[in-house]
Amino acid sequence: MIKVLEAGLSTTIQDAGRYGHYHIGMPPSGAMDQFAHTVANYLVGNDKGAATVEMTYQGSDFKFTEDTVIAITGAEMAPELNGEPVSMWETLAVSDGDVLSLQFATNGARTYLAVAGGIDVTPVMESRSTYTLVGIGGYDGRTLEDGDTLTIGDAGADRSSLVGNSVADEHIPNYDDEDHIRIVLGLCDYRLTDESKEELCDAEWTVTPEADRVGYRLEGPEIEFKPREQPFGAGTDPSNVVDLGYPVGSIQVPQKPIVLMRDAVTGGGYATVGTVISTDRDLLSQRRTHQPVYFQSVTLEEALAARKARTETLESIRNSLTP
Amino acid sequence: MTTTTIKAPMPGVFYRRPDPDDPVFVEEGDHVEEGDVIGVVGVMKSFQDIKSDASGTVSKILVENEAAIEAGDDLVELELD
Amino acid sequence: MTARIERKESLSPRYEYGGDDYVFVELDQEMSFDANFEAMAITQQIRERDLPGIIEICPANASYMIHFDPDVLAPTDLVDELKQLEQETDLSEYQWDTRIIDFPVLYDDPWTHETLMQFRENHQDPDATDLEYSARINGFDSADEFIDAHAGAPHMVTMVGFVPGLPWCFQMVPREEQIEVPKYLQPRTDTPSRAVGFGGAFTAIYPVQGAGGYQLFGRTPLEVLDVDQQLPSFKDSMVFPKPGDILNFRRIDREEYDAIREEIEDGTYEYTIEAVEFSPEEFFENPHEYNAQLVEVLD
Repeated sequence: MIKVLEAGLSTTIQDAGRYGHYHIGMPPSGAMDQFAHTVANYLVGNDKGAATVEMTYQGSDFKFTEDTVIAITGAEMAPELNGEPVSMWETLAVSDGDVLSLQFATNGARTYLAVAGGIDVTPVMESRSTYTLVGIGGYDGRTLEDGDTLTIGDAGADRSSLVGNSVADEHIPNYDDEDHIRIVLGLCDYRLTDESKEELCDAEWTVTPEADRVGYRLEGPEIEFKPREQPFGAGTDPSNVVDLGYPVGSIQVPQKPIVLMRDAVTGGGYATVGTVISTDRDLLSQRRTHQPVYFQSVTLEEALAARKARTETLESIRNSLTP
Repeated sequence: MTTTTIKAPMPGVFYRRPDPDDPVFVEEGDHVEEGDVIGVVGVMKSFQDIKSDASGTVSKILVENEAAIEAGDDLVELELD
Repeated sequence: MTARIERKESLSPRYEYGGDDYVFVELDQEMSFDANFEAMAITQQIRERDLPGIIEICPANASYMIHFDPDVLAPTDLVDELKQLEQETDLSEYQWDTRIIDFPVLYDDPWTHETLMQFRENHQDPDATDLEYSARINGFDSADEFIDAHAGAPHMVTMVGFVPGLPWCFQMVPREEQIEVPKYLQPRTDTPSRAVGFGGAFTAIYPVQGAGGYQLFGRTPLEVLDVDQQLPSFKDSMVFPKPGDILNFRRIDREEYDAIREEIEDGTYEYTIEAVEFSPEEFFENPHEYNAQLVEVLD
């Protein structure tokens, strides 16, 4: 078991996501940075679908009550095991009684703790991800609190031989440098003036303090819409369309842009004007409040190439591990 | 005199008052006990109390009300008892 | 009166990629039964085809969206498939199995009334209630007549989302009888759960308490979201409404509201649900008569 000594600011259990229910308003939830989540799982010998602990901005303190194997990935949180610094992106051994403590995030925003066997909570709609809005999944459907106790899933076999494996430096993201976020323009971008469409990609946007798992609200120049006659059923505001589905990663513009993240509202009446490509949703989720973001328009082919490259990186990391 | 600095444990917006119309949590010269709230940080649509980790007298307030702060930023300097 | 539903001449769908893993198809920029039924028909058929790589199929009011894994299903192949479906689908020949549900509503209830009075400064008409304002701008003489119109013909659930369980409902009447009301000028910070609201051309039911910008007409005693799945009608899903459902809003009094709430809270209330086959063609031809037949099965 893992005892949560200090939960931190916003710490939840997450996995690869909850799928098949978007049409009834249920977002996928799941780890905001799927790359870091997947790598953490690989390092401890798990499948990518195993549940990890996601810590945002502020790390937690944990006490282990059994011997196991863990890995910490994502934003730098200066982890210490029993007061001694330990590496991130590396398979670590922990023993019964060990205390793992993490500080605040300095490079990135979210950090993942994976444990061999995964965090064992009851799946809801086939996922262990926490969706706090309606209070389902994860640990009682909520963010972790001091004193909670997490159960570790059955790893099947001893994983201690994985200890010492680490991810090659070239594969470890330097989140604070990743300010260019690639998007595919489209959806309802016909609502924007040509100037605003250009500005979306030229402007420096800043992550606002409200940015969370639902959406990343950005600050920047005013967005302008083309004049139109209001279509029947759309709202009166120039940003309104007849309510439609929002892709995860889509940029909606109720004036200032909001990029929908994994706890997204699944649909509504604001024009969407483009979508952050799947690989870069991970990177955007590692931007901290006040940091700049620049959108870079790419084609579908470029988006698919980025996805392929990411899959290859993950495979290469997995293959590099000595069991 | 030994001093200590209370640092921001998270990024966000620093508020010196609980509400715009309320008085500030602490002024320079005030005495605080360990655990007293010295400000709040607004982040991810919630507000987190920032507590003093020692007892002492506030010697310097190092950030303005509603300043954008990073985790680790110096907020308040205390002269320890 | 032989009102018909005016058919759209033709839709001109736009196929758009949402990043590398979504396709968004806007069938029309304005709301119409043609656009919605097309969205239903295509998404139902794509679900039946059960293509490998499809993750989510989401019909919406006048559009739909597919989430897919491009490593399994090439985006261009998916769009080709959708375009082909669009070509092949003829709503005159298409029918689908759905449900009609009795949906009691306490219009002008004390809870939404209290809330809307708190937010008059956010509203177009601070001196009227939401019902009075909506009645006036839609040409009704009184809120009472307006309520009769809202409850006078069933609504189709044309989309579910925003948050789990929130249905957008479009009244099954010709365009000239459709109610249209703008949303609040500034959203409220509060709305009671189960509030029946209206924005644009849609009725929405708020699953949980929270912010909102729709005009407040009433409150239903029924739940649309039951996370713990305690109620028998939520056995298969924590969300009750499904796209394509037909809700028959029925005007009830406080006594009936309280009686139903008691049963809901006991976990014993069973929603009145009847299976029906929906025929767009028959509906288009004579909506009022067709609605009357639909609603009859609830008696």
